[in-house]
Amino acid sequence: MSLIKKWGILAVLVAGVAGVTVQANADTLMSPPAGYFNKPAVIAGAKLFAEHCSACHAVGSLRYERLASDLGMPKASIVKDVMLPNGANYRMGMQPAMTQAEAKKWFGLPPPDLSHMVRALGARFIYTYLQSFYWDPNRPSGWNNHVFPKVAMPNVLQPWSGIVAKDGKVMQPGRVTPAVFHQRVADIVAFLRYASDPSVFVRHKLGPYVLGLLAAFSLIAYWLKKEYWKDVHDDSSKRKK
Amino acid sequence: MVTLDDSQGEPDWRRRRFLVATTSVVGAAAVAAVAGVMVDSLEPTAADTAAASTTVNLEPIEPGMQVTVPWQKKPVVVVNRTPAMLATLKETAAKGLLKDADCSVPQQPPYCKNEYRARKPEWLVMVRICTHLCCIPHYRPKKASVTPWWLGGFHCPCHGSMYDLSGRVIKGSPAPHNMAVPEYHYAKDGKTVTITKMYPEAHLC
Amino acid sequence: MANFGDWLNKRFPLRELMREHLTEYFAPKNFNLLYYTGSLLLLMIVMQFITGFLLMAHYVPTSADAFNSVQGIMYDTRWGWLIRYMHVDGVSLIFVLLYLHIGRGMLYGSYRKPRELLWIVGYVIYILMMGEAFLGYVLPFGNLSYWAGQVITSIIQALPAVGPALAVLARGGSGVGTATLERFLALHAVLWFWIIAAAIFIHILALHQVGSNNPDGIEIKENKGPDGHPVDGIPFHPYYTVKDIFGVGVWLMIFAAVIFYAPTMHGVFLERTTFSPANPMVSLPDVTPPWYLAPFYAMLRAIPNKDGGIFLMILAVVLPFFLPWLDRSPVKSSRYRPVYRAMILLMAVTFFTLAWVGEQPPLPKYFLLERGGAAIYVGFYLLLPFISRWEPTRKVPERVTS
Repeated sequence: MSLIKKWGILAVLVAGVAGVTVQANADTLMSPPAGYFNKPAVIAGAKLFAEHCSACHAVGSLRYERLASDLGMPKASIVKDVMLPNGANYRMGMQPAMTQAEAKKWFGLPPPDLSHMVRALGARFIYTYLQSFYWDPNRPSGWNNHVFPKVAMPNVLQPWSGIVAKDGKVMQPGRVTPAVFHQRVADIVAFLRYASDPSVFVRHKLGPYVLGLLAAFSLIAYWLKKEYWKDVHDDSSKRKK
Repeated sequence: MVTLDDSQGEPDWRRRRFLVATTSVVGAAAVAAVAGVMVDSLEPTAADTAAASTTVNLEPIEPGMQVTVPWQKKPVVVVNRTPAMLATLKETAAKGLLKDADCSVPQQPPYCKNEYRARKPEWLVMVRICTHLCCIPHYRPKKASVTPWWLGGFHCPCHGSMYDLSGRVIKGSPAPHNMAVPEYHYAKDGKTVTITKMYPEAHLC
Repeated sequence: MANFGDWLNKRFPLRELMREHLTEYFAPKNFNLLYYTGSLLLLMIVMQFITGFLLMAHYVPTSADAFNSVQGIMYDTRWGWLIRYMHVDGVSLIFVLLYLHIGRGMLYGSYRKPRELLWIVGYVIYILMMGEAFLGYVLPFGNLSYWAGQVITSIIQALPAVGPALAVLARGGSGVGTATLERFLALHAVLWFWIIAAAIFIHILALHQVGSNNPDGIEIKENKGPDGHPVDGIPFHPYYTVKDIFGVGVWLMIFAAVIFYAPTMHGVFLERTTFSPANPMVSLPDVTPPWYLAPFYAMLRAIPNKDGGIFLMILAVVLPFFLPWLDRSPVKSSRYRPVYRAMILLMAVTFFTLAWVGEQPPLPKYFLLERGGAAIYVGFYLLLPFISRWEPTRKVPERVTS
């Protein structure tokens, strides 16, 4: 069919344009390891986040109870490992330990709420950013970042990453191996990715059923269409008879 | 209608009817599922549920005093009853003043089905809404402050319904039932009380 | 039942309507894939109406709460994510269908006499849809919304004479804020929507007056059989109703796959900049419109002069209105017009390229693509009257081909 050929040509051209797009956007960001995003990783990430990030950062859109309903975390574990002992409410969004007033005093600007950060900046950016701190004595915190120059946040993951100079020279090794460091950052990114889109596990669970139902419907509708269209003939063949 | 091919003859009406029915059933199932989801989306949100419970600090409430707090847009009264006030509860029941002294109508959770209508005798936690026509009764703890025989309780300004200090309705009132007690629990240290939800079988007014 | 039917039909022309528009409305029997787009568009717009209503039940149109109320829908409302993704992804998929629908009309000459009005009403619907989409994506009040609102209202402001007054009227104040959100919501959900609905009604009535075109561009009404019905026509019901039902099933699978597995389509259907709240102090790294408006945006940028760019953009939007009179060929369908077909193919590629360029940061290296694309786009319409007169045509068959 000429129509199919036409669509084929169009598809190739569109794919060409898309290919150029991907190339144009190629940059130096690192990607988290394949398959890093799953429930156990998100749970591990939530605990690491509580320990290292939620002193300053809120995840205000995500209620603690969602960790139980979406991920299957036991409530006791959420209370013990994720919630801070500052009167956080199980049904409310994740709050930082530090108050807004303290944050203003220490950092000038309060550290941002991280609810939508992965969707706003991309998982690759966060993954790279957390591993791109280097020692810079000219900065008030002593830290600078390759992908976010002059960032206010200090390298809170220093115990894992150690201290690295701008040129990549290790000034003081981390307490864990680089592999463990990458793994933990990937877990934190997995948690933040989930936090920015908590419907993800429900969607992936429901998806096959929805598509299956629609496929069954389409199949029956196809038989129905075929049955009725038996009436409609190609007149040229009829005339030949 | 369209001309039919002579060689094929009459269409297979049974097959057509069957396919029409099957398509309709599967289609209707899909539509029903989506409609269910859409109606469900109008249910209270997680934010509403999170804001649904109210915690009251008991420490500032002196004996004999009450505080009334908004809970789910309803007034809830918390009364710190003195031993003298608790004694009146036995008296109202003994004198046969009450419509439902034993609280047999489930206007309270089972754990409050006692003369105090409370988890702890001294603390009354109750929805302060008259079961007659939804007014908010006045708190009248003093004896003879409403009628000469008044032992203390709640008096409704709208239609004169009267309740004792447990919110049990007094005979002769237009109100049909005792005032409702919501579900609540104390903190471990007993210094705060958290009102969680309405007892499902209780009706307000 | 029969009695109720009689009772009803004496009072309401149900049977008559069914006959006129379904069982005795004859459509050409050689429709191809592109002819699913009409019924699918109708379905999608009805779904936008329903999901829009449900979103509005939770949305707060104030600059302080709009962003949070939308995030509340995503996080706290039961099935809120599903409803919002249906609404948001629905827009992009509607534009996919619209472009196929319009492209089909161009491909088979469906704008030609006697379907000029059908084409014009349809094109008006497309323009109204762009407005509706714009009003809609300002509402969540992410940073994209804010800056899109700024950019579009400043385009309005640049219009001659009425511009400044109209911009104030659109914003409802000196800047984009609560007043803007309130009136945009009212427009988006009430006035603008119902104007679109009315235009769709007129579009369908006009279609049923002249009858559908087909890939061969043959008027089936000119060849009637002894029974008085077009020889190449079949009743819309049951033949095209069952066919469209099948189309709906397959299309909804595509729709569901997007919603359940790629709801943001990697930032194309739901842009990254919608996930940070509106901030008048922080401009976006680059303000780019959604993909379906990007071709026109690319043309806006092709001329480095505010008034010139706006003129070119408006020209690009307006030109297709005149298509019925720009095409002078005796043949309708591009199937029998090789040159015209090549032009349309070039036009489709140009349009996609402009859409891609429109999404790129405004860098000089894209000027060539922007200007070349704009030249081809405008050239298509300006050269068509001349090309269509001399272009060679193939013989059009008397009967539709299958």
